[in-house]
Amino acid sequence: MSYYLSTILVYLGVDVLAAWALNIQFGWAGVPNFAFIIFQAIGAYAAAVVSLGPDSGANSFQRYILGASLPFPLPLLVAAAAGALLALFIGVIATIRLRRDYQAAVFLLVALIASQVVSGDVGLFNGSNGLAAIPQPLSGALSSLSIGEYQWVYAGFTTFVAIGVLLVMRRLGRSGWQRALRASRDDEAAASALGLNVPLMRLQVFVLGGAIAGLSGGLLVGFITAWSPGGWGYAETFAILTGIILGGVGNDWGVLVGTFLVQIVFIEVPSFLPEFGYPGLIDKLEWIVIGFMWLAVLILRPGGIIPERRYRARLSGVGGR
Amino acid sequence: MVVASIIVQSIGFGIVTAAIVAIGAMGFTLQFGVTNILNISYGNILTIGAFASLIVENNHLGLGATIIVAPIAGALVTFVLARTLFALFAHRQAGTFELIMVTLASSLIIEYSIDASAQGQTFAFTFPTGKTLHTGPFLFTTESLALIGVAIFVYAALMAGLHLTRMGKALRALSIDPKLARACGVPMRRMLNLTWLISGALAGLTGLIYVTNSLTVSANAGLDFLVLVIAAALLGGAGSPTGAVIASLVVGIATEVVAAVGGSYYSQAVGLGILAVVLIARPSSRAIATNRDEVTV
Repeated sequence: MSYYLSTILVYLGVDVLAAWALNIQFGWAGVPNFAFIIFQAIGAYAAAVVSLGPDSGANSFQRYILGASLPFPLPLLVAAAAGALLALFIGVIATIRLRRDYQAAVFLLVALIASQVVSGDVGLFNGSNGLAAIPQPLSGALSSLSIGEYQWVYAGFTTFVAIGVLLVMRRLGRSGWQRALRASRDDEAAASALGLNVPLMRLQVFVLGGAIAGLSGGLLVGFITAWSPGGWGYAETFAILTGIILGGVGNDWGVLVGTFLVQIVFIEVPSFLPEFGYPGLIDKLEWIVIGFMWLAVLILRPGGIIPERRYRARLSGVGGR
Repeated sequence: MVVASIIVQSIGFGIVTAAIVAIGAMGFTLQFGVTNILNISYGNILTIGAFASLIVENNHLGLGATIIVAPIAGALVTFVLARTLFALFAHRQAGTFELIMVTLASSLIIEYSIDASAQGQTFAFTFPTGKTLHTGPFLFTTESLALIGVAIFVYAALMAGLHLTRMGKALRALSIDPKLARACGVPMRRMLNLTWLISGALAGLTGLIYVTNSLTVSANAGLDFLVLVIAAALLGGAGSPTGAVIASLVVGIATEVVAAVGGSYYSQAVGLGILAVVLIARPSSRAIATNRDEVTV
């Protein structure tokens, strides 16, 4: 039970980090990043290839680039940097003035293609088999702990990171930058007319989201110690997005609640139910239900459980009440 | 010399790929142009067409039955989706972005429903490829020549329908300006139904053509192929079958040449690369032909 709880806590931390990252891109800036999962994926891969160490022969079944083995906090920083760097490239799509549905479609294509390329190009991250036996952070220094204790340390660390990111998010949420982003989301032409550099702001928020996504990937891979294209299919983005939409787009607490409901209550808990049908049936059924959940939220409660707080400008002086 | 002949050959394969992409892109672009909905579930309709063909084939009903069943299956599912789900959101004044979210959710539901019933398997499809013929510098099988013929036929039929009949003129009017078309007495409902049916039928047909060429089908086949279809449709300009065909040739040949030279897993990335360059370089002239946000279902 303790083992189970600590596992759930790590997953919740990782998923919430990912959801917040997507929320600042999608909820604040209105960038429909349907390729979101690839930013988590590259963070995971980056953390993996800088902690796996050189190919020792024992692991000769897998091929990968770099093969460094950096000490503990560095792989996570590399993961965040990788997410940010990828976002800097892909973010160009977010900055060009394009219909949002075109943008969404292009992001979706990016996700589909990224999966094909990484699955096919074996020299990069070992293709569709993926990387395995990735060393856990501090597994040497903490080797005196039992597996259960180590799990709790990891869960604590993940929670710590998540709270740190939340604090940054709350701080940014009160900033003029965030208000400008939302203004550009709601009316791009008006925001531009007011002199806001909309493309630059979108790129900034996209890179920030990419970095947090990469960080969440690094945390995830350090915990599960394996990573392959099967784990980051394009549909994963929609599980995260369903959580955001269900909880409330643009609302940190709403996103937390929605993510908990979708990723933990709905996705993780059934894996402890007795199996039925052929192996893998439950996973597929889950995706079908996620599709229906998504539609249901859009139909019944488009604002989510905790809708975005309406921002009221307090005007003083001319024009104010 | 060897490289050159590989490239020439891959251009031949590219034309075949282009033919399949073109049939799909024509249906996609017609529906997108008229309704303004970027319909992601189109890829899954393609999968439905492919699986319908597979079921007919497994029951030994012959090619004739397949040609009828696959488009009908595609048209029916598309029609029902459009008339129920998409219509519900359109009536709530949902914009283009809400609708792409809805088509995505439908896509997820259809894909995993098929995957769950197919038990995640990939199925083999038997179809005679026919003799190999030397056509100019290219090698074509009779099957792939037939496939190119189907694409040309669809294009000719679509162009004739759009330009020579009253209905076609009404459809084109609708695609350019729905409000004005309605004011001029275009029977909206009937025209939109027709659009969804044609686009669904073409998706189903694409599924059939796809499976006769690839000879395997799995639940995610359509969505993967949709990458090329959307690239071609957006590249060619929404609502333009001719644009879609030309763009399909570009995308088809580029992907096959890259697949031959650089590795198959980079092939589809090229389609996206071309699309990205066009969107970044000429966003106004190509992609955003119309800037309207409202959809018509």
